[in-house]
Parts: sequence; C-alpha cells; structure tokens
Amino acid sequence: MNQALAKAQIEANITNRFGSIFKIAEKAPTDFLSSGIPEIDAVTGGGLPRGAITEIVGAASSGRASLLSATLTDAITRSETCALVDTSDTFDPASARQAGVNFNSLLWVRCGNSVERAFKATDFLLQSGGFGFVALNLSDVTGNYTRRIISSWWFRFRRAIENTPTTFMVISPVACVRSCASVILEMRNNRALWHTSAPFFQTKNPAAGVCLTKGCQISLVEDPQQQHSSSFLTHAYLLRAIDVRVKLVKPTTWIEGFVRFHQPI
Amino acid sequence: MFACIYGQPLAKIKPTSDDEINAGEPLVNLAFSFSPLIEQTTIDTVVLDIEGQEHLFHPTGIAETNKNNEWSYKIADQITRCAQGDGLKVNVAVASNPDAAIHAARALNGITIIPQGNELTKLGNLSLKLLDYSLVRIDDTRADEIRETFALWGLRTFGDFARLPIRGVAQRLGQEGVRLQKLARGINKRHLVLVQPPIGFEQSLELEHAITELEPLSFILSRLLNQLCANLDAHALATNELRLSLVTESAALGSCSTLEDQISTESGSDRMIHDRTITLPLPMRNTKMFLRLCLLDLESHPPPAPVTAISIIAEPTKPRVLQNGLFIPQAPEPEKLELTLARLAKLVGEENVGSPELLDTHRPDAFRMKRFDLSSTQKNRTSNPQSVILKPSIVGFRRFRPPLPAQVITKGERPMRISARKLASSDTMRGKILQASGPWRTSGDWWRPDVWARDEWDVAVADANGQSEILCRIFRDLASEDWFVEGIYD
Repeated sequence: MNQALAKAQIEANITNRFGSIFKIAEKAPTDFLSSGIPEIDAVTGGGLPRGAITEIVGAASSGRASLLSATLTDAITRSETCALVDTSDTFDPASARQAGVNFNSLLWVRCGNSVERAFKATDFLLQSGGFGFVALNLSDVTGNYTRRIISSWWFRFRRAIENTPTTFMVISPVACVRSCASVILEMRNNRALWHTSAPFFQTKNPAAGVCLTKGCQISLVEDPQQQHSSSFLTHAYLLRAIDVRVKLVKPTTWIEGFVRFHQPI
Repeated sequence: MFACIYGQPLAKIKPTSDDEINAGEPLVNLAFSFSPLIEQTTIDTVVLDIEGQEHLFHPTGIAETNKNNEWSYKIADQITRCAQGDGLKVNVAVASNPDAAIHAARALNGITIIPQGNELTKLGNLSLKLLDYSLVRIDDTRADEIRETFALWGLRTFGDFARLPIRGVAQRLGQEGVRLQKLARGINKRHLVLVQPPIGFEQSLELEHAITELEPLSFILSRLLNQLCANLDAHALATNELRLSLVTESAALGSCSTLEDQISTESGSDRMIHDRTITLPLPMRNTKMFLRLCLLDLESHPPPAPVTAISIIAEPTKPRVLQNGLFIPQAPEPEKLELTLARLAKLVGEENVGSPELLDTHRPDAFRMKRFDLSSTQKNRTSNPQSVILKPSIVGFRRFRPPLPAQVITKGERPMRISARKLASSDTMRGKILQASGPWRTSGDWWRPDVWARDEWDVAVADANGQSEILCRIFRDLASEDWFVEGIYD
C-alpha cells in the first residue's frame, strides 16, 4: 500500500513537471467477458477484459477454482469456446459439472505437472485463435517457480491475444505476470461455513444489497433462501460454503469485494 | 471409328441392377485397357471409341485405302487376344458408328470390320429379329407392334427393310420407323453414353531406396497429398479420413507395439505395413493441413523400420458448407483447431487432450477423455446473452491425481492432525486440523476386484504460516486403513 502511494506521488510530481510524456499509454479495455459472478464483475468494472491477460492470485482454498468454474460456465453459456491448460492435472470435472460447465465446448489439456508443457500448450492455443476464454492454471506450482518464469512468455501471450476477443486468465499462487497483466485480482479465503457450525456471515441489513464505492468494501446480501439446512447433507459435501475476499490489485483502484461460494445442493 | 465387344458366354440381358452391371465388369475392364471412352450398352455388350488409335496400330508399306481396315483389324485382333487371356470368348466388330458395330458383333462370330459406306453390305443379310429397338429408344410394347407390322409386310432381313422408301416408312411408322431404318442401314449416328471410370482417391509410390528420416518422407507425402487434393478438388469433394500406409523393411515388432499402431506383415515377404488413420472432424481438402497432420502423427507414431513404399487413401465426402452468424461468437477454425489438437496431442499425449465426459458411476473421479469436437456444438450456438441465467456460485474443487498419501492422527474417529506431501513439489500440507466434518461413508463396485469403500472428511487445516486455512477433503480407505488427501476446495 505504501509503495503504491509512493509510486503515485512520484508519478504526480513527474506529471506536474514534464506532463504525461513518461506515462505508458495503456489501452483501456472496452469489451469484457463476464466472470459469472456479479460481485467480481463489479470489482473489475465489467468482467474480465478481452484481448488482455487477467491474473488471479491466491493461496489454496481462496476460491480460484470456483471462479474458474463460474467463468467457464458463463462463457460456454454464451457460446464461447473455452480451453483450460491444467498444469498439475487437478481440474475436477464432477464439481465443474455441478457448477454448470458444459464440457462439449471445453478443451482440457492435462500437462502432468510440467510447467514447460503447459506454457507450450498455452502458446499453441493462443496462437491458433478462436477461443473466447483460455485459462492457464498454475495453482499448484510453487511461488518460487512462478517468479522465475521469464517475462518473454507473458509478452508473447499478450501479443498473441491483443486485438482478439480472447480472454486469457492465469491462476497462480503469487503474482507472476507482472506488467503484462491488465487486471490482477487477489483472492483470499475469509472463512468457511460448516454444517456443524452456525452461519457466521450475517449482514446487519438483509436488504442492503451491494454498496460499491472506491475505497470501501462491498457488502453482500445474504440470501436466506440459499442457506442450507444443517440437517441436509449431500454427497460428502460436509463443508457448506466459503467466503472469499476479492481485491483488485491492478489497475490500482483498491476495490474489494466479498463472494460466497456455496456447495451444490 | 467404334469397336464393339460382345461377350458370348454371358446371358444377353439388359443391366437392371448394380449386381448385373458388376457381372459385365471384365468386359468393361478389357475395354478400358484400349480406350477411355466406353459405353456399356448391355451387360454383354461394350462399345469403345477407337478414333485416333491408328497411330498406335499404323501399318506400314500398305496402300492408303487399305490402311483403315488394317489397323482396325489389328485393334480387333488385339482385343480378342486380350479377352482370350482373361478367359472370355468375344466377338469384335469395328464400324464407323456404334450401332452398326453392335449389330455386327452380336450377329457375326469372330472379328468383323465394316468399312465406312459398306454397312448395308455387311448387315443386309442379318435377320430383323436382331434389330435392337432400344438403341433408338423404342419401348418393348411399341417394338412388338412394329415387329408384327414387319411380319405382315414380309420383311425378314435388315436389307429388306433398308431398301424400303423412307417416305413410305415415315408415313406408316412415323419418326420411329425412320430411326429404325437408319439403324438397319447402319448409318445411325449417336454419341456414346460413357462409363465413368471408378473414382480412386488413392496415391501410392514405391521408393527405390528406403527412407529412414521424416524430412525426406515429408517431400514424398507432400507430392502425394497434392495429387490427392487435386483429384478431390476436380470432383468437388473433400475428405474426412486419411489412411496412410507405409510399407517398411523388416524390423523387430517389439519396437512398435503400441495399441493404435496397426502393423501387419505381408504374406510371403519380410516387409511390414505401418497403417495410420487420421480422422478429421470435418471434411477438408487442404494439402498443407494434411501434410502437417500426417507429419505430426508420424512423429508421435514413427514407423518401426525404413520406409520402402507409401500409400495414401482419402475417404471422399461432400465438402463442408457453413454460414456463420454475424453475431455468434467466434470459434476456432476447424482446420487450425485440428492442427492445434494434433500439436497438443504430440506435446502432452493423446489421452491428455480433449473434453471430459463423466461416467455413470459413483466412483470418485470417474471420467474419460473424449475427442474435442466443436462440430456438434456449432448448431446450438447462440449469441443471445439473455439465455445466460446466473446461477449461485459453486465451490470449486481441485483433485489430486493420484490422491496424496497422508498421515493422520485421530482422536477416537476424528482426525486431529495431518501431514501430507505433494508428490510433484516440495509443498507439504502439515498441521492441526482446525475444523472437521464427517465421516461420510461411501462404497461401491463390490462385484469388481477394484471395490472401493471409504470414509470422507471435509477438514480445515491450518496453513504453514498460520495466516489462512486450507479446506480439503480427506478420506480413509476402509480396506487398507490408510488416509489420503483427495483434493482441495478452492
């Protein structure tokens, strides 16, 4: 936070003295692909930008796979062709089907824990064109490894998809795409709901809706109809829901949101 | 000039079905060996256009007037010899028009040469019963009526009928009579109804020296595929299946024992055939695309020994016709997609590329990979965003394949601490279990040797740095009493 403020202050001083000649002119995205989660679309200002790289950063159980499933569901429903490059072969078709993913339009590439193969496969897919949504899942790749990925890969990917309607999502434990990412979302597991425990996420005003203001949090309405009965247990879904905090890191507008991911009933 | 081959052993019936046409196939093949312009008049009668073949059979040292007869006789003699070689007994007649040749071949044994202008001389003594009414498109009922008329008139031979005045014939029998008289006089002119040679989309090449590397093979493949695509293009067709056969020198079978490789040994020789089939989701006829697909396939499944002969067969089909909607989202081009899939299959293996398909079982992680095919979804594509219905966000799950073995300390039945190490990385999942919910007992497939039974728990494990918790599903295998981490809720 302090670094960002310092950077903004320096940039402001330079602009006052020399104008905006040193500022890198980035094209503002005009077309978006919905993430399938209205709260995240609100945070990012419309969804995931097309023709740009979106990076999802978060630790385990921070809702990254949930966001991926929701985006796949929404994109395929809109007749987009999707591809998933699964570095560690951890994609679960059963849970994705419950999230509503139609597999007929999903190309799944299992890379068997090889990051090199994953990047080559991603390159093939992006260069061939025509895919509406391509995701590169680096969730199980350690942070030390992802930081060592050379930037030329990301520049190559960004160059391949710019001026195309392709949305490219990179999911990683730590930020690694750096300047090539147009949007960086940080996700964090806030709390989990269990069937044996009482619901903890309660809003004071159930009709509050979503309050979106720069610099403030988004309050979500908890739909009473979506609360699961504690006596209702589906197949092994003993965990009830996960509350995830989503923070927009880039562009640095510091918007946060909260999303609740439910277990399917 | 036209030559007619009449096969004597065959029954004289008109071809009415494909089987009967196939019965006359030896005659057609014989005729095709002399001329590409063939008419199969009936099952036992074939007419071929031999115009221009005098250069092949041109006699020397003979007067100009006898030259035509001489080379015609040579052709007819050659046809007869070839037919005898194939076990056929044939009559051959050569005339200036096809119908005269047909009548002469059917009526006169051996070789008959009819010089132009002398048709009536040769045909005049033939019985009118041999007159083929179908050649002038007269149906059987009308033909019977005309035969009765001829009988009443006392006509018995072609010559009798030919000598009648044409005006009188026209007044009594109409235009049919005029056409029949021309037929009897041997001056009826018409075009042949040509038999189209069977379309073969096969290209093959025998090599003088065996090829051991892929790069020189690519040049040969390119040449064959170019010719194949040109043939397809000429017939306005495309293909959705390429069958590549590589004849290789003898080699140890053990080096090529993959299931998909179809390797057979030629009987009586030490050569082997390496067959590969490339199935395309949509009809195509792009040479470069075919070449890349063939090369990628051969890189993944190389022939076991040096290649001595190559054969490519294309399965012809109608080309793809597709009109995209203006507002329908873009989809990968089929040709590019096929190439990308081939590259991905080479990179990660064929079994790791495709669309998942869930199996109808309760067994955990039961799915299979099927070929990624967009052609089935193309029809249902829509650009209407109103069809998108927002669903509640569902918790995602990331599954470890295979499940991670874990050491779990329990208190009673309840897990209290867990320690598991990911196989492919140095990451460990170790710590106190903060929250646990379970057990959920599942079992199935008791009638199979790989029966499964287990107790599942959803647990929250404290992260190594203590800042967050990892939500994962663990299970205890009831057969082995071992604990495993199945995956992470993410």
